[in-house]
Amino acid sequence: MKNIFVSFIYTILVRPWLTFIIGVSFHNIKPLKDANQFIIVANHNSHFDTVSIMAALPSNKRKNTCAVASGDYFGKSPFTVTLMKLFFNAILITKKTKPGHLSNLELLDQRIKEGKSLIMYPEGSRGNPGTISSFKKGIAKLLKENPSVPFIPVYLDGFGRVLPKNKILIVPLICKVRFGSPLFATTNDTKTTLEEVKKEILNLKQKNERDRNQFDFY
Amino acid sequence: MDIFGYYIPIELLFILCVIFGVLIICSSIFGFISLMNKSDSVSELVVRTNSWWKIAIGITVVATAPAIIGTIVLAYVVFVALREMLSIIPLRTADRIVLVASYFAIPIQFYLAYKNYYYLFQIFIPLVMFVCVSIILVLTGETNRIGRSMAIIPTILILTVYMPSHMVLLFHVNVPEFTVGAGGLIVFLIIITASNDIFQFTWGKLLGKRKILPKISPNKTWAGFIGGVITSSLLGIVLSFLTPLNYIESFYVGLSLGIIGFVGDSIISAVKRDLKIKDTDDLIPGHGGAMDRLDSIVLTTPAFYYLLIFFIEN
Repeated sequence: MKNIFVSFIYTILVRPWLTFIIGVSFHNIKPLKDANQFIIVANHNSHFDTVSIMAALPSNKRKNTCAVASGDYFGKSPFTVTLMKLFFNAILITKKTKPGHLSNLELLDQRIKEGKSLIMYPEGSRGNPGTISSFKKGIAKLLKENPSVPFIPVYLDGFGRVLPKNKILIVPLICKVRFGSPLFATTNDTKTTLEEVKKEILNLKQKNERDRNQFDFY
Repeated sequence: MDIFGYYIPIELLFILCVIFGVLIICSSIFGFISLMNKSDSVSELVVRTNSWWKIAIGITVVATAPAIIGTIVLAYVVFVALREMLSIIPLRTADRIVLVASYFAIPIQFYLAYKNYYYLFQIFIPLVMFVCVSIILVLTGETNRIGRSMAIIPTILILTVYMPSHMVLLFHVNVPEFTVGAGGLIVFLIIITASNDIFQFTWGKLLGKRKILPKISPNKTWAGFIGGVITSSLLGIVLSFLTPLNYIESFYVGLSLGIIGFVGDSIISAVKRDLKIKDTDDLIPGHGGAMDRLDSIVLTTPAFYYLLIFFIEN
């Protein structure tokens, strides 16, 4: 029942609103249909990032996909926690974990072992629009622990202008969600894996810019 | 002629049949060629023709449906064009509130046009929105590069909202003994403008040598420009049955639209060269963004409207 309600909201409201009013376009979403379990790795500029990625997923994948979000930011009121859990299946992680509880990494690892897919922003915070800051190591460790799970690089373009950090006004402007193909980490070394992941996202960014900047003058 | 109890003038029906006939011929030829030879240029033509189908269906809706539906469709197209222009031009974070105000100008402008409040329609964007944009920018308090935003945002509003919104005024053109109605005028305007683009390109490819604006667009040649303008003028005479104009007036309208369409195309091209982008977006497969298609029609719409009014009144 809950799943039907959530996919209804996404298909009837969120997706048309994103495409027709805000101006989001989704690129290369085909590989998502074939992948069973994955970790989506994206750059992070706006609250719209998670909404758009979730809206891009096919509904049978969406119910199995959890967004990893900051418990320090979203965990303040029970209302936002309920909303986050309902629409994004959010896993809220906090900087300081309580003694006796699982650490953040163990928690995420456990979710992957349960068969869930994740959406992660290795930059940690939303940062400045248009820039990709340094990546945190967690994603590489998770990929090392679960070698059978591929990561899907995603480049999000323009969301930092639609709803930047610390702003509440939403401005419709063209943005793009560009998915890469599912890839497996090639080494066990976390540092190399992290660089690989970052390189894939930067490749997508380059591809995005190349598409617009080609001069063939027609 | 009545279709399902709905009245469509016979001239309009005829021209719509011609448009879809041409599209069917193009689609079958390109489809046939692409079966034989799978090269990129052929598949690009197929993609382009498929987009023309969607555009033609949109035009049919605007031209035949009641004025209110036509107005809403046009307002949405203008919204997409404005969104595209505001997205490609780098603006400051402090400008975001003005961007929202600019979006709200679209329903107001189209409402004024739909209700035919002529003077309010005339002043709303050049005067009211100009002042509103400036005062909102002043109130945000961010003075760094404020002049640039004050200049760019009203210009974009004039270009993408004020100018194309004249198309809605065509619904109010009333001439005794003219039975085709606003649908005919809109189809006339769109066919002349679109074919002007296509013929300027084609003549340029066939005969073009000397470039007319080498720094703006290497594809625009003198031969293309003159050939396109002559073709548009002749097409104006041929299509004069869609308008209340006689052959000579229709010829002048075709001639002016040919020249002005070229000007609109060049303006958007120059902006794109400045921003170092090829297309404004990838919304319409094979054509680029909405603004890549609307670049000439934004200028030809007011030109056509005022020429029409001038010829009707004199």
